[in-house]
Amino acid sequence: MSGLFGMLSTTARSLDAQRYGLDSAGQNIANINTPGYSRRVVDFGAVPPTSERLNAGNGVEVLGVRRLRDRFFDRRLFQENPAQYRESSLAASLGVVESSLGSPNATLNARLNQFFDGFGALAQAPTSSTARADVLARGQALAAEIRATDGRFQQAQLDTDGRIRASVDDINSLANRLASLNDRIANADASGTMTLRDEQNEVVRELSTLVDIETIDHPNGTVQVSFGRGKPLVIGDVAYAVTVQNEATTGFARLYSGVTDVTGAISGGKVAGLVAARDVNVPGYRSQLDTLAYEVTQQVNTLHDAGFTLGGVDAPPFFQPIAAVAGAASQIAVDPTVAANANLIAAGSVAATPGDNGTARQLATLRDARVLSGGSATFTGFYTDLVYGIGQDRSVAVSEGNVRAEVVAQIDNLRDSVSGVSLDEEAASMMRFQRAYEANARFFTTVNQTLDVLLNLGR
Amino acid sequence: MRVTFGSTFRNGLVDINRAAEQLALRQREVSSGRRIHLPSDDPSAMAAAMGERSEMAVLDQFTQTTDSVDSRLSVADSVYTDVINRLTNVQTRAAGGRSTILTQTQRDALAGEIRGAASAIMTAVNTSYRGMYLFSGGQSLTAPYSSGPPISGYQGDSNVQSVDVARDRSVQVTFDGSAILQGSAPADVFQTLEALATAVQTGNMAGIDQGLADVGAAFERVTNAQTRIGIELARLPEDRARLVTQKQAADSRRASVEDANLAEAISAATQADTAHRAALGSLANLGRLSLMDYLK
Repeated sequence: MSGLFGMLSTTARSLDAQRYGLDSAGQNIANINTPGYSRRVVDFGAVPPTSERLNAGNGVEVLGVRRLRDRFFDRRLFQENPAQYRESSLAASLGVVESSLGSPNATLNARLNQFFDGFGALAQAPTSSTARADVLARGQALAAEIRATDGRFQQAQLDTDGRIRASVDDINSLANRLASLNDRIANADASGTMTLRDEQNEVVRELSTLVDIETIDHPNGTVQVSFGRGKPLVIGDVAYAVTVQNEATTGFARLYSGVTDVTGAISGGKVAGLVAARDVNVPGYRSQLDTLAYEVTQQVNTLHDAGFTLGGVDAPPFFQPIAAVAGAASQIAVDPTVAANANLIAAGSVAATPGDNGTARQLATLRDARVLSGGSATFTGFYTDLVYGIGQDRSVAVSEGNVRAEVVAQIDNLRDSVSGVSLDEEAASMMRFQRAYEANARFFTTVNQTLDVLLNLGR
Repeated sequence: MRVTFGSTFRNGLVDINRAAEQLALRQREVSSGRRIHLPSDDPSAMAAAMGERSEMAVLDQFTQTTDSVDSRLSVADSVYTDVINRLTNVQTRAAGGRSTILTQTQRDALAGEIRGAASAIMTAVNTSYRGMYLFSGGQSLTAPYSSGPPISGYQGDSNVQSVDVARDRSVQVTFDGSAILQGSAPADVFQTLEALATAVQTGNMAGIDQGLADVGAAFERVTNAQTRIGIELARLPEDRARLVTQKQAADSRRASVEDANLAEAISAATQADTAHRAALGSLANLGRLSLMDYLK
């Protein structure tokens, strides 16, 4: 009698266990699109028989729920993410610089050619006011194009700097979130931290897209994160804020951990890509543009100074003299006296000879003079090298970013193979638990009917 | 390996994006006719194309200069022709002046014709091209001679100007009027003609002979100058043809790195379109097949 009643309670417990399994499958399906969610599996255990004779066992019990996670894949992801995001953010920043060139055949390159063409035309008609006005307009257009290109490069730097500052806000926000999660995980019962740990993992993953990080898992479930060659970001429930200070000369953001400047120590993540673009790539391009502007000014002025105006007197410099290479691209301009009077343009190389075209011819042939890159490049060649450099840098960053993205995708797939939710698998689980539930219910009915038989024996 | 919902869709989306990117790239290639639009598309090709475009700009400049030189030399050539005709006419008239049966009226008429020829030669030599005198050397704003009587001495200089019609070739485009109309002779052609006219008018046979000899020397100088111009004019079509060939070659090199091979691009675009459709269909079908469909 007690055996049959015991079987009823055993079956009820089994029904509960199967329902729990079904519940778990439902939870997995519900979170199929939740970022960072790790699938849950329910562990069942057979309840052993009591010492009573003729007792097969006491059914099943739920031993616990496990969150399936492989820390190895997470760590690999945290290591690979920074490289991918560094390259992709660098590629994006260089894309802005590249697009600011416009069509390379129609902007600065064309202006340089047009400028020298102008002197070629002036050589044909040294006394022509139209030819002189044309040279002046072309010189002004060239100077304006160089200044505009430099301005666009500078704007790209400023925009990149703004994105670095925004990224620092993101880092601090994520660090605070992680510290809070660490606190809750450390103070919660281990069985109730699965969702928190998923979120914790997701936060660390997001951090790894911003900067290269080192993580240490502590037994109490908290994660310690450092960056910038060992500088603490989150330890336990404390987040160490990354601060921004403006660099004295440029005004650009420098990143500090405490009192230490860690800007140069960040080698991965979106921030590293942005810093590289702002501090290495774009300044390099601007420096090349400065060199071009300086040499154009110097070389043209040297020939122009030796020439004579339409009035036959010594000519002033064509471009305003520039003292140093640094910043030349932002300063280049046609000399105001020449701009005000095109007759001051030197076409001739002989005094008091208005029809002489010696200087105009020399200036026209300056186009072919190899005066840059140690005497190996012409002006247009030097600019072509600059365009090539920008294109090559971006191409490499895009290509490297794609390679890294492929690596990250592979690791993501491996991680998903452990933690991800498979609809087919969950469907199978649903069928499994549904069938088990039905069988247990059927068993319950059988036991109940058996009890009816027993209770009706005396009637 | 377990294949999960998330990874299936993530990978599928990556593939679709990649295929869509390829398709957009190929479509742009077909629609624009260009293989590269940004330096990063192919940095080396972009640099090569820019180099070729610069070269084409130089060649265009030389071609334009060649055309201008051609016009200018043609004008100078016509001036020489005019001067030669005048000198020939003077020689005819002066030879007629050697006759002893001429009346004074006839001598006066011949002398007048010779002086008229001198004036016409001065007008011819004072020809300007686009506001610049061709025969004043470097003083292109000053007329070589001014009318008299008597006609002035040479007012230009010997600083003749040349322009470049190729990197290694220049052509003289202004001329020293004095070198042509006087050369190393003690008197210029106008003084010679005036002396000749006077000799014809007075019946000075020795003067006429001397004048004819001097006009003959001037004729030779002008003829030589015209021959030099003729040689340059004859070379200009060759120069122009060479520039056109060079530009075509540069454009061909530019096109080979920059322009799309349309047949290839259209084929690639079709291929990319197929790949894109396949990627879309594949993901759609993957999503459709699930064990969930078999649950009742």
